[in-house]
Amino acid sequence: MPQSNSRIKILKNVTLLLFAVILVRLFFIQIVEHDAYLAKADEQHTLEKTITARRGEIYMMDGDEPVAVVLNQTRYQIVIDPTVTEKEDAKKVLETYAKEYKTADLDEVYGTENLRYAIIAKDVPRELAEEIAEADIPAIWLKKTNRRVYPEGEFASGLLGFVNDEGKGQYGVEGSLNEQLSGKDGLLKTTADVNKVALSIGNDNIKVPAEDGKNIILSIDRRLERRIEELALEAIDNTIATNASVLVMDPNTSKVLAMANLPNYNPDKYTEVANVDSFLNYTLEVPYEPASVCKTFTYSAAIEEGVMSPETTYFNKHFETIDGWQINNASKNDFLYGNVDMRRAFNWSLNTGSIHALKLLGGNPDSINQQGREKLYDYFYNKFHLGQFTGIELYEAAGLIQDPNEGWGRDSVYANMTFGQNLSITMLQTATAFSAAVNGGVWRTPSVVEGIYEDGEIKPFIKTEPVIEETILSEQTSATMRELLISNRSNIKRPGYDMGGKTGTGEVVREGAYTENFAELIGSYVGFIATEGELPKYVIMVKMWGEGKDVVASDAMDLFNSVSDYMINYYKIKPKE
Amino acid sequence: MIIGLVVIYAIGPMRANVLNSAYGANYDSNYFFLGQLRSVGLSLIAFFAAFKWIPYKYVQKFAKPLMILALFMSILLWLLASSGSSLAKCELGQCRWFNLGFISFQPAEFLKIALVFYLADFLARKKEEGTIGDIKDFWLPLAVVCGASLALVVVAQGDLGTGVALLAIIFGMLLVSGLSMHQFAIVALATVVLAVGSIIISPHRRERVETWFITLSGGESSDSTYHVDNAMLAIGVGGLFGAGIGNSVQATGYLPESINDSVFAIMGETFGFVGLFIILAIFATLLLRTLKVAEYTSDPENRLVIVGVFSWTLAQIVVNIMAMIGLVPVTGITLPLLSYGGTSMIFIAFALGLVLQFSCYTSREVIKDEDISSRRGVGRTYNSRSRRNS
Repeated sequence: MPQSNSRIKILKNVTLLLFAVILVRLFFIQIVEHDAYLAKADEQHTLEKTITARRGEIYMMDGDEPVAVVLNQTRYQIVIDPTVTEKEDAKKVLETYAKEYKTADLDEVYGTENLRYAIIAKDVPRELAEEIAEADIPAIWLKKTNRRVYPEGEFASGLLGFVNDEGKGQYGVEGSLNEQLSGKDGLLKTTADVNKVALSIGNDNIKVPAEDGKNIILSIDRRLERRIEELALEAIDNTIATNASVLVMDPNTSKVLAMANLPNYNPDKYTEVANVDSFLNYTLEVPYEPASVCKTFTYSAAIEEGVMSPETTYFNKHFETIDGWQINNASKNDFLYGNVDMRRAFNWSLNTGSIHALKLLGGNPDSINQQGREKLYDYFYNKFHLGQFTGIELYEAAGLIQDPNEGWGRDSVYANMTFGQNLSITMLQTATAFSAAVNGGVWRTPSVVEGIYEDGEIKPFIKTEPVIEETILSEQTSATMRELLISNRSNIKRPGYDMGGKTGTGEVVREGAYTENFAELIGSYVGFIATEGELPKYVIMVKMWGEGKDVVASDAMDLFNSVSDYMINYYKIKPKE
Repeated sequence: MIIGLVVIYAIGPMRANVLNSAYGANYDSNYFFLGQLRSVGLSLIAFFAAFKWIPYKYVQKFAKPLMILALFMSILLWLLASSGSSLAKCELGQCRWFNLGFISFQPAEFLKIALVFYLADFLARKKEEGTIGDIKDFWLPLAVVCGASLALVVVAQGDLGTGVALLAIIFGMLLVSGLSMHQFAIVALATVVLAVGSIIISPHRRERVETWFITLSGGESSDSTYHVDNAMLAIGVGGLFGAGIGNSVQATGYLPESINDSVFAIMGETFGFVGLFIILAIFATLLLRTLKVAEYTSDPENRLVIVGVFSWTLAQIVVNIMAMIGLVPVTGITLPLLSYGGTSMIFIAFALGLVLQFSCYTSREVIKDEDISSRRGVGRTYNSRSRRNS
């Protein structure tokens, strides 16, 4: 077989040649280019994924039980690859199941060239997402997203804030306590299969578990907050005011029980809110001039210093001229002209009265001096903690109490300060200071966080700010202040109860100057509720205003009255027997 | 030799299968392994049957009916598939299997071996008659049978891989049939022209070839180069010694067909260059041994069968491996004895069994009996056999 065998030789050579080619090629791929392929494989196989920490929920108190007012919910995004899924199919799914969640125009999506990924619906609930999944349209897929849910809608929005599209808390509790609420994302770095399922193959797999966010329990009383919001809305309807804020505090602990800012906004549709001012929590983020409300602090200082009593008299001529400025009283009734005592001046809210207190603080009944200014500053700033951060857990503004000695016209500035003008303080600062004035003289750092809700238990919340508790007034002074405040309301006394309060009508500073002819006024009222002869149980502060509106203190007092009436019932505060 | 291969291949793909089944369908984690084990069992039976129990004389007698049966089965499959019958099993739109409930059967594999027998019988007869190269007596029947086979496989079943194997069988056998080099060259050229033509007219095949050019020239990867890219990635990652058994990441779904057509790439990742070298050495030895047996076989028909089996095996090995390393376009062809896929393995095992049977009738008959008994005893390592034969 010579011919045949020579041909077999051909086959043999062909075989050897082919195998040689294969080997050379393998050598190149496996030895020469090994590192390049390793790098490429690393890129393809390594899955680096953030393990998203679950955001903490927000609770309010309902009796002794925490009730969630902000929750998380799994929602789904519908994503399509327009090159794979027919437009009609996509349209059918979208129209049938997710019409109201649509975020993109299908015609536009399909009109865009080379588009392989488009989100066509967002926030689709689970039930609908399941039905869409069952429809089994190729290249329509569902992406899990975490959505913040506010089951009570607009409720307490100014206090709670919202979470933006990037999952970051904005404003209110969501913004202030974002760090605690969001927890810490974990990291997963692992070799994964083609479906991005992690494999145990490989040596440098990393897994850092996520630390879930904390569930925050607010000391806010959910039902009280809700009712106050209703009452505040009614008050807005019944007056020229467009806005109202109400703060309720336990004066003996400085725990905040309600923080209402009306009107609310819808945190689900925060993007539709036209003015960012609507997001503010006016009770502590916006300092203002609460006006005559502050006479409480001026009187407290003078009484505590022993330079004045409610029976101290001075000559009221309806105005004072200081540093060339004429400061007028709001009430210029004839029967008030002449010698009046400090109680009467307090009851009629005479500015000349509180200016007189400042003079007494300086030891000279005839004029304001440095000692008087420094004493008032000491009480306002150091003791009542006005014009500085209170140390509450939320975002707050500091405000300002002007220096007693620096700058021009100190006397007139301080004269104004005695009745709450020429300073800027927040409602929270005012209510906390007022609490100290009536609770026996103890100032406490206010708080709005009750604790952390974990495994069905309330655990303490670790505060970053120090908690201060200091006695700033004697019990005697505090009792005198209560008595003075109660006497303010003698014409509307509720039998069996001690309720005291102080009005304040403040002029609004616009562009650095007071509005002309009182074109815009803010009405404030701060007061307390107590069973007759006992210490106050609750402090309520109300502020009502509207841009360009003359809102007066009596509007605020009316709202205070309706809130306090409700609270006496709601908390079953017993009258004195 | 077979056993050595079985070991490798039982471990490698099994792992791939386990991982494969971890997601996707409800396959038991051992589903593929057991399936493969069954195929190996059947292959061993086929191998021994061919080697010991079925004298080639019998097969020879049935060469023509077998060929007719094989063609008939392919036609039947085509008809069943066109009528949408559940007896035809289709994957990725190509209907290549009979579905017999517990087992599926790929008639194309049967067609290959039947063609080997038929051509051996046909070419040997024509040689005896002296009509080789004759238009009417030789080329016409040859063209009809080969053309029909190719058409059924490539067109009806869309199985280009088997088509390549069939062509290899045909040309390998023609080469040693005693045909003049002159005519052989003309036919080969004509076939090449035909093949190029078929590539140009089919967009699907044209795309594959284009893909291949991209890969070969190191161009941008795209969806179409995905298979080759990932095969080469798997092989490249393997490096010198490989990632080790069970550590193939590419098998976890990145590489398509990781347990059958792409098993070579997974082996590259698992065993590295050294491992692939050994596997290639074993394949080369197997092929060269087969040729050696052919050389020493005096009976022309037997010799043709051996060359047919050789060409078939060579084609599958080379085309499969070269596709994995980007040297030829991906055609969808199994790697003999290693790929998952029962029919292919059983028939190759049977064919190799026959070669072994013929090796016992080689012109050096002296060692025949001893040889067989010793093989049975020690589990037939290649070396023991080669020393005795050469």
